[in-house]
Amino acid sequence: MRTIDDFTRPLEYLAPVDKHLGDIVRAWAEREVMPYRRQYDEDWEAHRLIEPAFRSLMGELGFQRMLFPEDVGGWGFGHSGYTATIACRAFEEIARADSGMAVAFGVLFWPLVMICNEPHVNRRLCEELAPMFCDTTAPCFAANAMTEPQGGADIENMEIVGGSTIETTAVLDGDEWVINGHKLWPTNSGGVADLFGVVCTTKAGSRDLDDFAFIFVPAKNPGCTQSGPYQKAGMAADKNGDIWFEDCRVPSWYRAHGPGLDAMYFKEVISFGNMGSTAFVVGALMNVYEILKDFCTEQTYRGKPLKENDDIAGVLADFARDIDICRILAYQCARMIDRPDLYGERWSDEIVAKGRGYKYFACDRAVEDLKKAMNIMGAHGSDRLWDVEKHWRDVKIVQLWMGGKQLCQMEVARWFYECETL
Amino acid sequence: MDYQELFPVPVEWLQDVDRSMARTVADWADAEVIAGRLEHKEDYDALLLPAMRKLLVDIGLQSMLWPEEMGGGGLGTPDAAMTLAAVIEQVGRADSGIAFVLANTFALQSAFAIEPYKNEALLEHMAPVVCGKDPVIASLILPSYSKDPDAAAFYGLPYQAAAKRDADGWLLSARDARPQCSGAGAYAFGVACAGESDEPMLVLVAPHLRGFSTGEPFKKTGLAASINADITMDGVRAADAQVLLQGTTRMRGMLAWYYTLCAAACSGALLATYDIIKEWGDTRVIKGKGQVFKENPLVASLLGEIGGKMAMGRLLTFNAARLLSAPNLYGPAGSPPVATAATAAFKLAARGAMEAMDNTMELMASAGYATEWNLERYWRDVKTLESCVLPETVAQTDLARHYFDLKEL
Ligand SMILES: Cc1cc2nc3c(=O)[nH]c(=O)nc-3n(C[C@H](O)[C@H](O)[C@H](O)COP(=O)(O)OP(=O)(O)OC[C@H]3O[C@@H](n4cnc5c(N)ncnc54)[C@H](O)[C@@H]3O)c2cc1C
Repeated sequence: MRTIDDFTRPLEYLAPVDKHLGDIVRAWAEREVMPYRRQYDEDWEAHRLIEPAFRSLMGELGFQRMLFPEDVGGWGFGHSGYTATIACRAFEEIARADSGMAVAFGVLFWPLVMICNEPHVNRRLCEELAPMFCDTTAPCFAANAMTEPQGGADIENMEIVGGSTIETTAVLDGDEWVINGHKLWPTNSGGVADLFGVVCTTKAGSRDLDDFAFIFVPAKNPGCTQSGPYQKAGMAADKNGDIWFEDCRVPSWYRAHGPGLDAMYFKEVISFGNMGSTAFVVGALMNVYEILKDFCTEQTYRGKPLKENDDIAGVLADFARDIDICRILAYQCARMIDRPDLYGERWSDEIVAKGRGYKYFACDRAVEDLKKAMNIMGAHGSDRLWDVEKHWRDVKIVQLWMGGKQLCQMEVARWFYECETL
Repeated sequence: MDYQELFPVPVEWLQDVDRSMARTVADWADAEVIAGRLEHKEDYDALLLPAMRKLLVDIGLQSMLWPEEMGGGGLGTPDAAMTLAAVIEQVGRADSGIAFVLANTFALQSAFAIEPYKNEALLEHMAPVVCGKDPVIASLILPSYSKDPDAAAFYGLPYQAAAKRDADGWLLSARDARPQCSGAGAYAFGVACAGESDEPMLVLVAPHLRGFSTGEPFKKTGLAASINADITMDGVRAADAQVLLQGTTRMRGMLAWYYTLCAAACSGALLATYDIIKEWGDTRVIKGKGQVFKENPLVASLLGEIGGKMAMGRLLTFNAARLLSAPNLYGPAGSPPVATAATAAFKLAARGAMEAMDNTMELMASAGYATEWNLERYWRDVKTLESCVLPETVAQTDLARHYFDLKEL
């Protein structure tokens, strides 16, 4: 019998631990998430059901340690040469159960990419921050605070806007940064995160990327406050809210790297975001494949199972084709991040642009395919019992975040066609 | 907002009564729903039910097709299609779930309250309730997929209920049938099933009849106003007088009303979407504060798509309603050209609405996804409408059957 494991991945790219880790995450998802996920929408604020599942994956199974070097208590994946490929597998397995959870999990590592990944490990910060994640069995979250009220897309549009719209300021006062500003929407905000990676400017209005600063701020620091979570169309497992920094002080070495380097390595964060987004939608699509297969085998139309009707089979074929293609893309994207020796630096414009392309291709296909899946299912398509509508609601935001689809288009055009003003 | 100025429909088809009812309902939309939704979101008891009560009872929508002498509005002619399109569009602007409830209710009423199919006895029988003080809504149990490949079917799509001839009427049975709008105390159900010689028929069933049971309301993507629960019928007895219509043409006629009114619900959701994205596009600034959002050429290209789909959705809706309102010119509602046009109008209006809302959400990014901005509720509602009213491939086959004279499907 065909299963989701029959969707193609380039086998030669996979990490040696792929099967072992994948099996653990799949078993966890099937045991601790899938039986409960239908109630997550109502749990968006309290996370009474969601939190225990996080606790078990991140704290008890220890996945929150993945990226940190071994000698500070981590699993050392940041120098494994397979960081992205391993993450890709974990993300698709979690997203198969719940993409909101996959996002919350993935974003825990997002700011840490700045300091835990070779070749730019910041030893001092790793040592200082690792205990939060590695010396506990309680879940510990980080958040990547980029978006501001006046717009998230511009902040990511570094080539054109050059960080000039960032209003969160960091001023060096002795050996401390003093941070002031207002962020909104980061995954794992809304009261969840213990640590923020904050995109700041050291000179308001400057287009000089030397003034772009990425500074870590523990959530419990004085001057850092968070709102409760926003209510939204889906992704209940990912809380999002406002964060305010008012004269919030952190040690000067909490800046990830320094002038120029923060902006450069931040693009690697974007590359990881592109790979993660692609993997999230693949995971969701694979689960819908499973559901559709059952539904279209059981239910009949014109006296035969739905899947034996040529017109419905045509739609089902498109669905499976897109999963196969998007899954290959996700792993290709991961491979390009993992192998700078072959593909160039993962913070290069090329890798960022190609990743943006993969992300928006996969998201566009997923949004269209999930709409069609719901249409095929008729009166059951919008029924929560089948979970297809949940995936449809969840996946839509993957298409919208990280600057939105149009920013992806502009970056792809800029790179491939050497546009200069977009 | 003057929507006619923006997205015109042929005004010569609208009568004074259509315009004035649409205005009344537009005021209701602003005062009773839109004003309260920041606080109450989609709360059924706090917002939607009181609003529905006002609309159905106080404004008197639910009895508008009943003869005046019975206490109704006296609008039981095919012209009501235009009135209802104009009214349901405004309801949909406020809440597409309430609009969907109305589409179900009026589709059922179209089977017995509109000339030339007025059923005086039934109208009289129902008048005290429909023209009374409580909201009265109806639910349809239409053909859908089934696990039983041998179930009787309407053009291949199995009926959810089976009817067996009984001495003086019919015995109806169904297990966990999936209706529309059944859960919130629907007063009447229109049950589609195969009658004599497998002729389609629609039977009026009241939920208090013996053998009729309603399951727990289930959760769904959107349309919060249309609470829904599965239905089981164990030998529910229905007299011949409860058979509202018989034959393919009459069934397709009822469905043509249903699809047209669902298109109006989508059109209303699009008007609401317009208001939301207009405000966003006028005020948001991108590209380093240098560019008003809507003046960005890429953004403008999407705004153009969105506006075009809004205009087309409206035109399709009002054109389909016009076909229903003038059977002397276009033939009965159930005739193949009119019924097919209504199916096409709904499918294209719903798809266009969905595409426009998807694009709008792209342009609004997180704000579009946040409950606070309201777009996402219309987005969920319209998707629910698009998928649950009629499965896509079934609609495609219906259209192909008419346009290309299919013989086997
Ligand atoms: C569930 C969820 C999780 C999120 N997680 C995070 C997170 O972890 N960290 C974080 O910082 N933020 C996060 N966000 C915020 C998200 O990344 C932003 O919403 C996104 O970047 C867009 O920013 P914006 O909403 O401010 O919209 P804007 O920046 O105002 O952009 C709106 C739209 O304008 C258009 N646009 C913008 N720029 C251009 C251009 N140059 N050319 C053409 N069109 C353009 C696009 O259509 C875009 O979608 C999250 C949001 C959600 C809903």
